[in-house]
Amino acid sequence: MARSIWNGTIVFGLMTVPVKLHTATESKTVSFREVHLDDSSRIEHRRFCSKEDKEVPYKQVVKGYEIDDDTFVVLDKDEIAAAAGDGAHRIDVEHFVDVAEIDPIFFDRTYYLGAGEEGAGPYRLLRDALERTGRAGIGRFTFHDREYLTAVRARDGVLVLHTLRFADEIVPGSEIDVPKPGRGPGEREVKMAQRLIDTLHTRFRPEDYEDEYRAAVLAVIGRKRKGEEIVPEEEPAADDSADLMAALEASLDGARKGGR
Amino acid sequence: MARSLWAGSISFGLVNVPVALHSAVRDLDVHFRQLHGKDGAPIETRRFCSEEDKEVPFEAIGHGYEEEGEDLVVLTDEDLAAAAPRKTRTIDIEAFVDVADVDPLFFDHPYYLSPVGEAEGNLRAYRLLVKVLESTDRAALGRFVLRSKEYLVLVRVRDDRLALTTMLFHDEVRPAKGIDTGGRKPAKAQLDAATKLIEALAVDWDPERYRDCYRERLLDVIERKRKGRKITAPSTGRAAGGPPPDIMEALKASLERVRSGEGFDRSEDDETGDGGGLEDLTRDELYERAQKADVAGRSSMSREELMEALSD
Repeated sequence: MARSIWNGTIVFGLMTVPVKLHTATESKTVSFREVHLDDSSRIEHRRFCSKEDKEVPYKQVVKGYEIDDDTFVVLDKDEIAAAAGDGAHRIDVEHFVDVAEIDPIFFDRTYYLGAGEEGAGPYRLLRDALERTGRAGIGRFTFHDREYLTAVRARDGVLVLHTLRFADEIVPGSEIDVPKPGRGPGEREVKMAQRLIDTLHTRFRPEDYEDEYRAAVLAVIGRKRKGEEIVPEEEPAADDSADLMAALEASLDGARKGGR
Repeated sequence: MARSLWAGSISFGLVNVPVALHSAVRDLDVHFRQLHGKDGAPIETRRFCSEEDKEVPFEAIGHGYEEEGEDLVVLTDEDLAAAAPRKTRTIDIEAFVDVADVDPLFFDHPYYLSPVGEAEGNLRAYRLLVKVLESTDRAALGRFVLRSKEYLVLVRVRDDRLALTTMLFHDEVRPAKGIDTGGRKPAKAQLDAATKLIEALAVDWDPERYRDCYRERLLDVIERKRKGRKITAPSTGRAAGGPPPDIMEALKASLERVRSGEGFDRSEDDETGDGGGLEDLTRDELYERAQKADVAGRSSMSREELMEALSD
């Protein structure tokens, strides 16, 4: 297992649980770097002063917060860090909630928590108690000079920490325009769609879904390496749902035959 | 309504609905610009060819792929677009699952989908999907490519709209193997006491209860700096250190404190107790009191407004 990226203590009530934070996710996207198409050489990002039109060494770059058009308040690193909190290595759990009550929209990043030094007993106790109650501890912790709202819960015998979004960051659905149709879906359409959903209903098995685009991009890279020309395949545009009932019926037929 | 991030269609079976994608998260982070320290002018990033030492326009930049022992392969935007043309335009629904079945570990970024255009058939198909997903409490599982990355997505209903959440693929979640999962099974008395303490500290999930204190402190630091005041970092708080010397004792004492309403003061100040001044309480603590007192409109109140409402 990789090294831990943070060590600290979960605190709830007068109880303390030493823990280590580990990365739980990683991107597997095919990564590229910017190159100049003319000569395939590497692109460099250089910093320029917009006033002097001269390159600026990194040492002369400062951070500014724009309070008005072109008026900035300059803060140094320590001043920004002063907002991070007291820097104590703690996850302060304020409450416990039902994990199932947290809407998916709030979950941001996920980390694993392992037992910290001398923390074997308390870790196991918290893990078992969270498993038993189906609850998550909601708390705050400071990581990389920034405070996060977090949920700590048990998952397959391991404690995981999710960072959570704040309520005011969530866009309410009412801000998204959705015009109503002149006539709502009819009873037959609803029944048919329900049957289609039942037919295609399955348990969620994440292993059933592979990133096919990753493979497709690697295939394009392979062809390009051989000097092939890449031409996109033309695909017929899909019909819009003019005849909803006919489309549902045909889909259901297809789904029953096991195809799509 | 903000501009959409992507437009395409959502397709299940032979039903095809043109939709636009909107972020369900607004960026409230405090952003800093890079400035030139000498004259305070904003820094611009310019792209240069490392070989020619000349600035390169955006159109002349390609995607270089390097593998050990292999030559560099350069792809254009067009080459990339040819990789999976359908996937970049269509959210293909492959199955329907129960939302509760999906582990939150997979969730990435939330969005909304809105129907595109006024065509009656499309609006009806959108409505139908909302209605049926809502009544069955299920979510559609599909895939599509957004900004040159494929995502597994969950489409469900939220606020009477289709809400889409991008998810990680299974191989983007690291195995938990090797994580130290602690010691031996706890004694029953300990587990019972811990469970009791957790239940005593349990509340309904209410996201309005939590404010981004970091953002507030950062804005406060900026304001003080603007006024020319000195910024000092707060003293480091009590280090929580190791495990409690006696677990059972810590659990019991905690439970007693919760039951007596004494609570746990996390601040550096002296304990204020119930009779203490409101000005010593954090916004969260004030909110909790406002909830008990059933103060109307409390969720949108600032710390000062809560203080005022509670002192009435």
